Amino acid sequence: MPRWTYKLALRFRSLFRSSKVEKELHEEIRFHLENQIEEHIAQGMSPQEARYEALRELGGVEQHKEECRDMRRLNFIEDLLQDLGYSIRKLRRETGFAMTVALTLSIGIGATTAVLSTINMALVRRIQAAEPDRLIIGLRTRNGTALGLVAGFDYLDYRQLSRWFDGLAAFTPAGQQTVTGGSEPWVAEAFRVTSDLFRVLRVNPVAGRQFYSEEEARGGARVVLISWALWQNRFAGSSTTIGSTVNLDGLPHTIVGVMPRGFRFFYDADFWMLVDWTRSPYATNRNYHNYHVIGRLKSGVSIQQAQQDVDVISRGLEQQYPASNKGNGLRLVDLQEYMVRDVRTGLLLPSAVTMCLLLIACANVAGLLLARGQRRVSEMALRSALGASRPRLVRQLLTESATLTLPAGLLGVGFAYVFQGLLLRLLPMDRLGIHQPVIDSAVLLFALLVSMVTGLVVGIAPAIRGAAVALSPRLATGKQVVEGTGSSRLRSALVVTQVAISVVLLIGSGLLVRSLALLSRVNLGLDPGNVLTARIQIPGQDRSKREQVNRFFTSVLEEIESLPGVESASLVNKLPIVDPGEDWEIRRAGRPHGSEDDYPAFARWVSARYFWTMRIPLIKGRDISKTDIVGTPRVMVISRSLARTLFGDRDPVGEMVEVHLIDSPYVRYEVIGVVGDVRLNDFRREGDPAMYLAAAQRGGNEMRLAVRTTGDPSSLAELIRQRVRQRDRNVLLADMAIMDSVLDDALGPFRAVIRYLGLFSGIGLLLTAVGLYGALAYHVSQREHEVGVRLAIGATPASVLQLVLRRGLLLVGIGLLLGVAGARPGTTLIQQLLYNIEPLDLSTYVGAMLFIGVVATAACLLPAWRATRVNPIEVLRSE
Amino acid sequence: MGKPTDLVQGTLDLLILKTIALEPLHGWGIAQRIRMVSKEVLQVNQGALYPALHRLEQQAWITAKWGTSDNNRRAKYYSVTPAGRKYLNQERVNWDRLSTAIDLVLETP
Repeated sequence: MPRWTYKLALRFRSLFRSSKVEKELHEEIRFHLENQIEEHIAQGMSPQEARYEALRELGGVEQHKEECRDMRRLNFIEDLLQDLGYSIRKLRRETGFAMTVALTLSIGIGATTAVLSTINMALVRRIQAAEPDRLIIGLRTRNGTALGLVAGFDYLDYRQLSRWFDGLAAFTPAGQQTVTGGSEPWVAEAFRVTSDLFRVLRVNPVAGRQFYSEEEARGGARVVLISWALWQNRFAGSSTTIGSTVNLDGLPHTIVGVMPRGFRFFYDADFWMLVDWTRSPYATNRNYHNYHVIGRLKSGVSIQQAQQDVDVISRGLEQQYPASNKGNGLRLVDLQEYMVRDVRTGLLLPSAVTMCLLLIACANVAGLLLARGQRRVSEMALRSALGASRPRLVRQLLTESATLTLPAGLLGVGFAYVFQGLLLRLLPMDRLGIHQPVIDSAVLLFALLVSMVTGLVVGIAPAIRGAAVALSPRLATGKQVVEGTGSSRLRSALVVTQVAISVVLLIGSGLLVRSLALLSRVNLGLDPGNVLTARIQIPGQDRSKREQVNRFFTSVLEEIESLPGVESASLVNKLPIVDPGEDWEIRRAGRPHGSEDDYPAFARWVSARYFWTMRIPLIKGRDISKTDIVGTPRVMVISRSLARTLFGDRDPVGEMVEVHLIDSPYVRYEVIGVVGDVRLNDFRREGDPAMYLAAAQRGGNEMRLAVRTTGDPSSLAELIRQRVRQRDRNVLLADMAIMDSVLDDALGPFRAVIRYLGLFSGIGLLLTAVGLYGALAYHVSQREHEVGVRLAIGATPASVLQLVLRRGLLLVGIGLLLGVAGARPGTTLIQQLLYNIEPLDLSTYVGAMLFIGVVATAACLLPAWRATRVNPIEVLRSE
Repeated sequence: MGKPTDLVQGTLDLLILKTIALEPLHGWGIAQRIRMVSKEVLQVNQGALYPALHRLEQQAWITAKWGTSDNNRRAKYYSVTPAGRKYLNQERVNWDRLSTAIDLVLETP
């Protein structure tokens, strides 16, 4: 028989015939002993002497047996099964304890995993591309200041001359395109991209093909890629879509592919068209900076290397085209870093809150386990006296901890899915680019590890203490009448620590949650309530009909304003937040050409009463009025921040400014008023500088309609639609929506995350309460015996209650003080994450202390009250 | 002769294997045989003997069979397996080398 099969057979025998093996071991040792005794008798000892001598020689029989069992190795599995059985029996007797620990841990693990996974997906992985860590964005710099968009021909030079990229692509918003060809015209969002953009991102169409580089080289062939949503909604997901033709702004384009579901890059888009380097003045003039530049670094190339290379090209361009490129450069920034730059706080805060939650859970479990372990030191001492080695004791307790924490961990995974399901039900998933709940395995592993390690490390503490403890006094006090001062002191210390840690964590998460709440109450600078918005578009682009267009818009506004329930109606080219972009350069009039006094500001053109409709406060001067039309002097209203940038403390009303327009550089305008700052581009960024031109002077046949109503705006939607239709059948009125809900769509994900964090901090509070209650109640219940004795010798329940309560609250008080003292340095750790809130926020501190105080009092009172109701006779009998 | 020398583990394995290589023996017998052959110099600590036997058995160097002893009692007899014999020879070579080396060191003036 080969050696390994023999060994295997032996192992099986040890495992499954353990009683036989055990009997044999016993017999073997006895045989030895008897022989020894006989020998001693033969040497002339009395039978008793002989037996004694033989036993002495052999030493501790049980220890030897144990060593023999250890040699059989399988002991490990046997012990495990034995320990497991024991642990389960023990935990069944302590259901309350086991449930508390398991629930605390699993909620901690579940919540942490769900929140961190979701945040990770929603924010960190906003870039939908393969290997995003090698993607960079190229930002144009002017004298070292990063400005952003790059001129088209500059980009082409960088693409041509740089050496360290696996592709350098560019894209630019193409604005809204009117799509015709179906039963009714509709409007779609389009982007112009270079042919290699999706190759650089490593995202492939799910149907059809990518753009070919020859198509770009030919001057922008009329081919388009469409979004998955568009494919489903407009083309019913049909395979014949590929190769079919759509008319975009009157020009036929062939659909060549469909991008993956939920794919978005920087913006939502329905169409991706090719850039046309030949026709558009936007593309060919090095003065117009319109392109986002995205590159993929070659593997092994650092961003610094590529930067050096690009700097050389920039210097060359400066020399070659001094008029346009003087002082210009290109800064390469890690794309991931760039994407999260403004949401970093919003990203770190929730993570910190959930980390607090996990810590609270771990602290609770540690407290509970320590308290329980305290009670078991005597048991461990006894076991060690009966021949259990220290490693053996540790193993037993490890098994016990594992039987607690492993199921808790598994339950935690379940919780993680439940929590994430809840989260995702509230968050609009498509906007986040998440289509099915995914638990981040790294996060899960981390949460599991942290909590398990806590359980295991804390769990074995009694084994170490028990094995080290002097045997006899422990055993003698096996049933302790009066607790040893040592262990009582330790228990007290545990309670104090638990309270202190809870206070620190509560204050920490309280501060974080309050920061989040402040962050979510963003003041947009306008009142979106009761505002109905829609896109209104007059077909045809004939500039000569501007007068006609203006007349039409004016009469439509008048008609809408005459409707009952309408307070005011106005037009704007782009709604705040919803339609970002469109920044132009503006400067004070009379400055030399090409000076550095050009400032970027968002350009909006509005009709009269727009500021009133949106409730944007007019701070100085006058509003755009109905008389500001073609032929009258060009006027503009500027935002407060732009006024400060351009004119400092001077009154800007009446001043002249010049605006750098695409079609005609440096047009003069008179500033007629100043309005409050509005968040136009991004709700997280304060006070965007903005210029508001008169819509009638600027022109444009596609506008956003904004109507303020006195009642529910949705009731008027149909009426307004009818009136516009009656006036002109060809006018497109689309995207009717209530401003509030439109903004909610934009702010929604952020707000929902915060709402849910509120919920999770609620869970944190609950966990803290449970843990604190557990520790304190255990502390009090250990005195049950003492209470019984006191009652038996004549103490009144009230006096006993008072005694217990006083002692408990004293401990809590000390813990509170320590906690508050520790919170001060603790919160400096998270100071960077706090938003508009002081680390010493009084209400947070008071709130946390009050909460702990109430929970602690309840945790002392209830068990103490229960103890006073125990029959003293029973207590004494159990001696 | 003072206190009997404590046997290091590897040495005990070697002694056990050598002792039962001749004929199967029970634990008691092994201890007696080693004591006699070594002229009372090597006293096998009985507490060490049985764990060693069990370990060797688990390693499949030796195998055990229940038999009847001289005094008509049931006893567990250990014998060397073929793998054990190979192991013994190998250990023996090692031991020879070790003791020669120690001798060399000690005998060098």
